[in-house]
Amino acid sequence: MMGPMGGPQRLLETQSEKAGSVAGTLLRFGQYFGVYITGVIIALVLIVISTWAQVVGPDYIGQAVDCYFFPQTTSNCWFDSTVQAAIQSNTISSISIDTKLAGIGHVVLILIGLFVLGSVVSGLGFYTMSRTGQLVLKKMRQDVFHKAHQLSLSYYSEHDAGDIMSRLTNDTQTIQQVFGFALLSVISGALLMVWIVIKMLQDNPVYALICLAVVPFMFISTVYLSNRARKAFRVTREELGNVNSDLQESIAGVREVQAFNREEENIENFRRANAANRDANIQAAAFTSALTPTLEALGYIAIGIVVAVGGISVIQNQPLLGTTLISLGTVFAFVQYVQRFTQPITQIAVLWANIQAAVAGGERIFAIIDEKVDLVEKPNAKPMPAIKGKVEFDHVQAGYQQNVPVLKDIEFTAQPGQMIAIVGPTGAGKTTIINLIPRFYDVTSGAVKIDDIDVRDVTFESLRSQIGIVLQDTFLFSDTVMNNIRYGKLDATDDEVIAAAKLVQADSFIERLPQGFQTILGERGSGLSQGQRQLIAIARVALMNPSLLILDEATSSVDTRTERLIQKAFEQLLKGRTSFVIAHRLSTIRNADLVMLLRDGQIVERGTHNELLAKKGAYYDLYMSQFRREEEPAEGNGKVSEAVPSK
Amino acid sequence: MQGQASQQWGGQRSKGGPNTLGRSIRYLGRQRTSAILAYGALVIATLAQLAVPQLIQNMINAVTEGTVATNIMNTVKIPLAQNLALAAAAKQVGTTVDVLKDAAINSQHWLVDALVIIVVFAAVRAVFSFVQAYMSEKMSQGVAFDFRNEIFAKVQRLSFSYHDRNQTGQLMIRATDDVERVRTFIAQGLVLAAQSFLLLIATLIILFATNWKLTLVVLPILPIALIVFGFFARVTTPLFMEIQKRLSVLNTVLQENLAGIKVVRAFAREQYEDQRFGVPNQSYYEQQIRVARTFSFLFPLIFLIMQFGQAAILYVSGRMIITNDLTLGNYQSFSLYLLYVFFPLGQLGFIVQLMSQAVASSNRIFEILDAESDVTDKPNAITLPPIEGHVEFKGVTFRYFNSGEPVLNNVSFEAKQGQTIALLGGTGSGKTTIINLIPRFYDASEGQVLIDGHDVRDVTLDSLRSQIGIVLQETNLFSGTIRDNIAFGRPDATDEEVFAAAKAAAAHDFITSFPQGYHTPVGERGTTLSGGQKQRVAIARALLLNPRLLILDDSTSSVDLITESLIQKALDTLMKGRTSFVIAQRITTVLNADLILVLDKGKIAASGKHEDLMENSAIYAEIYNSQLVGDAPVDEPEAAQEAK
Repeated sequence: MMGPMGGPQRLLETQSEKAGSVAGTLLRFGQYFGVYITGVIIALVLIVISTWAQVVGPDYIGQAVDCYFFPQTTSNCWFDSTVQAAIQSNTISSISIDTKLAGIGHVVLILIGLFVLGSVVSGLGFYTMSRTGQLVLKKMRQDVFHKAHQLSLSYYSEHDAGDIMSRLTNDTQTIQQVFGFALLSVISGALLMVWIVIKMLQDNPVYALICLAVVPFMFISTVYLSNRARKAFRVTREELGNVNSDLQESIAGVREVQAFNREEENIENFRRANAANRDANIQAAAFTSALTPTLEALGYIAIGIVVAVGGISVIQNQPLLGTTLISLGTVFAFVQYVQRFTQPITQIAVLWANIQAAVAGGERIFAIIDEKVDLVEKPNAKPMPAIKGKVEFDHVQAGYQQNVPVLKDIEFTAQPGQMIAIVGPTGAGKTTIINLIPRFYDVTSGAVKIDDIDVRDVTFESLRSQIGIVLQDTFLFSDTVMNNIRYGKLDATDDEVIAAAKLVQADSFIERLPQGFQTILGERGSGLSQGQRQLIAIARVALMNPSLLILDEATSSVDTRTERLIQKAFEQLLKGRTSFVIAHRLSTIRNADLVMLLRDGQIVERGTHNELLAKKGAYYDLYMSQFRREEEPAEGNGKVSEAVPSK
Repeated sequence: MQGQASQQWGGQRSKGGPNTLGRSIRYLGRQRTSAILAYGALVIATLAQLAVPQLIQNMINAVTEGTVATNIMNTVKIPLAQNLALAAAAKQVGTTVDVLKDAAINSQHWLVDALVIIVVFAAVRAVFSFVQAYMSEKMSQGVAFDFRNEIFAKVQRLSFSYHDRNQTGQLMIRATDDVERVRTFIAQGLVLAAQSFLLLIATLIILFATNWKLTLVVLPILPIALIVFGFFARVTTPLFMEIQKRLSVLNTVLQENLAGIKVVRAFAREQYEDQRFGVPNQSYYEQQIRVARTFSFLFPLIFLIMQFGQAAILYVSGRMIITNDLTLGNYQSFSLYLLYVFFPLGQLGFIVQLMSQAVASSNRIFEILDAESDVTDKPNAITLPPIEGHVEFKGVTFRYFNSGEPVLNNVSFEAKQGQTIALLGGTGSGKTTIINLIPRFYDASEGQVLIDGHDVRDVTLDSLRSQIGIVLQETNLFSGTIRDNIAFGRPDATDEEVFAAAKAAAAHDFITSFPQGYHTPVGERGTTLSGGQKQRVAIARALLLNPRLLILDDSTSSVDLITESLIQKALDTLMKGRTSFVIAQRITTVLNADLILVLDKGKIAASGKHEDLMENSAIYAEIYNSQLVGDAPVDEPEAAQEAK
């Protein structure tokens, strides 16, 4: 049996065939419930007991009527042997009023006992089942979340975050609606149905079969309608995902929306997604709404047939279809059977239709959980030993899409303690190179080695926890400044955090915030300037104290003065550590031990700044056209003149 | 009727607060056709249900009469005595010979008629039940549609400071899950309530007509049931409120994790985040369990009350039968209808559940819909005439959330038409705040921002913002094609205009290098583009507006140097004749500025032109020199190399 979190290889094989299959999805639900099998069993036992109490109750009511209300019309009084004896000896009138009253009181007491027992047991059953259902949902949410972090970053360029969120919240909600109380009442309904069918067969098999003749029609209409409903539900889940994506993007990007006066346009777009969702739901409603009336009508027809056939048989006083002569009482009893029998069937059918919604939701949830992870730890992955700092790219080819290599045969070695600057035009592959070192992506051929160990041979955690990365896109959590910095080293004390902030010159502005380090930041760090956010992100890495450092335009948004201070801090931090820097500033590049000029995924030139200038090649051209501009202000001082490139 | 009952509960719970569930129900007004059809069909279908016992009774009667008649006709076979005996037999059962004959002949027809009636009835009731269910769903979907649109529209228009305080994930739950809860109530709870109410009243009337004494035994159950209902409604609403809150926290953690997924990866914090998500996941679960516990108690309790009623009826009617106060027929027809008293009572549990959820959720929905945006058009706001470009800050002070230290402190300056204003200062000195106040993303806490003499608070936001081109610090692109993103502010722009803007932003070349060119899809937040590419798209987006006023915030920071020079050139041409505010960290940009504002800790420390400031402002000189100092080491390696 494959567990809900089964291995990726197996999941990959089964995913396609399972995607559209109801049975497959139901099986997956079953596997989740299987984890909490004890709860399921206890709930089932409790439900059987409470259903029994529910079934037995009417029998006692019947006995009260038979034995004490109208003993003259019955021949069966198992409840009271005295009355039964009187009935058989035709001395009903001898039963005293007091006996009758006492008997009724007796029955009522038993009924109350049964009712109380039934209530307590069904309450416990309901609770156990709800708890089990909630445990399952909790696990599903956790699994989806867990999976979200395993999926490669490229998955996120194809899927909207809002849609993924919709799966985790809205789709699990649909499942919750089905696998709680509803499921329970259906189990109880099914038991009830079985019991009634048995009673009917005992009473009169022919009439039982006449009544049951409608069941195939009920079955066919349920299957037909619920199949149509499932297709419609699938659309509703997708449309709801779209609504959620729209919401997510428009709310997260609300500042741009307002800056560009896009509100009306966006509202109109949302309206469209929203209307599609509404229409899909109404479409599904057409099928689900038809279900109950159809089954009820079939039930009435069954009643009509029973009474008509039975009635004619009674009137003509002729047994019909080879059965024994039927009594009026039996006809009446069958009417009640059919009524009591239609209700659970309808209930089950409605649940079955609702399960289609859960299946549609489940398909989307399992689609994520089953999504192939292209970046996995090897089964025998070892922890990365303490990084000394040798980084080697061995004929690396890499790309995000098949057959579109972003990097073509990159080959270099960074010695421990070296600072490598990567320069080149936008889209040349700079970010791709640094993405490969902490193994955010895998190479398509070649290898990335740190201290001669292939990054694919070690565990993610041990690798990444030794590499400090300051990304271009700073991301802060809506939490305190303190905790945002602490993200770099979860067990750091407050003092360590403050020290790290000091190290990167972030302390002065943090202390000016309303609650200093305890200030809770808005989402994505709103309320702070981009430069401030970058400082916090840098402090985070400083706290982490990594063995290898990657800076992707780390200081692009801080002012030059702060940048200078940060660089000084980094210089301390970087002592003896290997670092990779994507830099646009000359000052950074000049300090590098190795400058690599990238163009179209290839290293066109490499060397130190001065070596490259001396070469008068591509780097020289780049410098002439661009970097020199940066020194223009210096010209005013007459310090750095045009003489520089000419050297 | 039930609507009113629910409103009452809603009102009691929120203790003088706005009655939000009632307000939600009023949204049905816009779904009038569906609602009328749904409730019309409901009345018919429910009343039809009451005819069922009668229909069955009719058939049974037909059978009974037919049997009796046939039996009498068959048993009395002697021809001579026939008439006499028949008359006697007829008399015995209280009828005449003619009636008996009719009965004997017609009973089978009656039976067939009754069968036809029941089939027709079944079909008709099915149609009305369908209409009721379908229209209920339709009207509730209509309400949900309106709610979502309104929430979306509201959220899009709420000010930056509202969004600073409220997380995306939390707002999303309100627009999806909370709306769904209210919708479910309108589709099911409200309908169920109306149905139960109708059934209960009609049945009670029938029961009273059948046997008022027995009915009196049932009556005490109603107030008991109502008390239980009221009690649970009161207890469970806060529980549901808490559920929605916890779900929001859950969604917020999720949303943040997805938005910051790269950071999580970079720090190998997957496990930590798993644990972090586990906390709200567990707390949401615990709240769900709390609710389950309450309802595990409520549902059986309601059934128990119902069953006690049944037992009471049994006991009392038994006594009455034994004392000959009740006949068998009377008892049977009474017990047939009794089912319809208990059925609606049994629904109370569900109604409570749906209603309490809806009350909790509708409070949360109206929290958004009723949120006062602090930045809105004044009632008498005028359309800002075409901007000439005169911008003035008069004693402007600004605090985030109107608390804490001022981010801007009494800032005054004037930008003349066509000038380029460079904002300079350390990280967090207030540069971004100044430019946020011009398009009125925030309102000044004190003082005034004037454009061409108009206070920005006196003009419509539309007319103001549509004339200002902005490149924000953080480049946020939207899913869609590159073209869609460039035309973000002007969806009706022609291809030529889009290309021109892209060319001016030095984006055209890289865009056309993609296989799909301008139709290349951009992932959410522009994931498929590099930082520099995103930024150029963002610049093109601003340029396409051909704005009178231009705001550039760090706009070229993640662009490589060649590209930057291209963009700079484009911007230089663009800025000509327009008033521009530029936050730039490079002195080169500053040198060309007509006015430099040097900010320090929220105040203008110095202002003027480069030459003046170099002479008169120590801070400016310091910043300027720090830049120079920053580049000074440049010489050393070269000097060293030279020395070789």
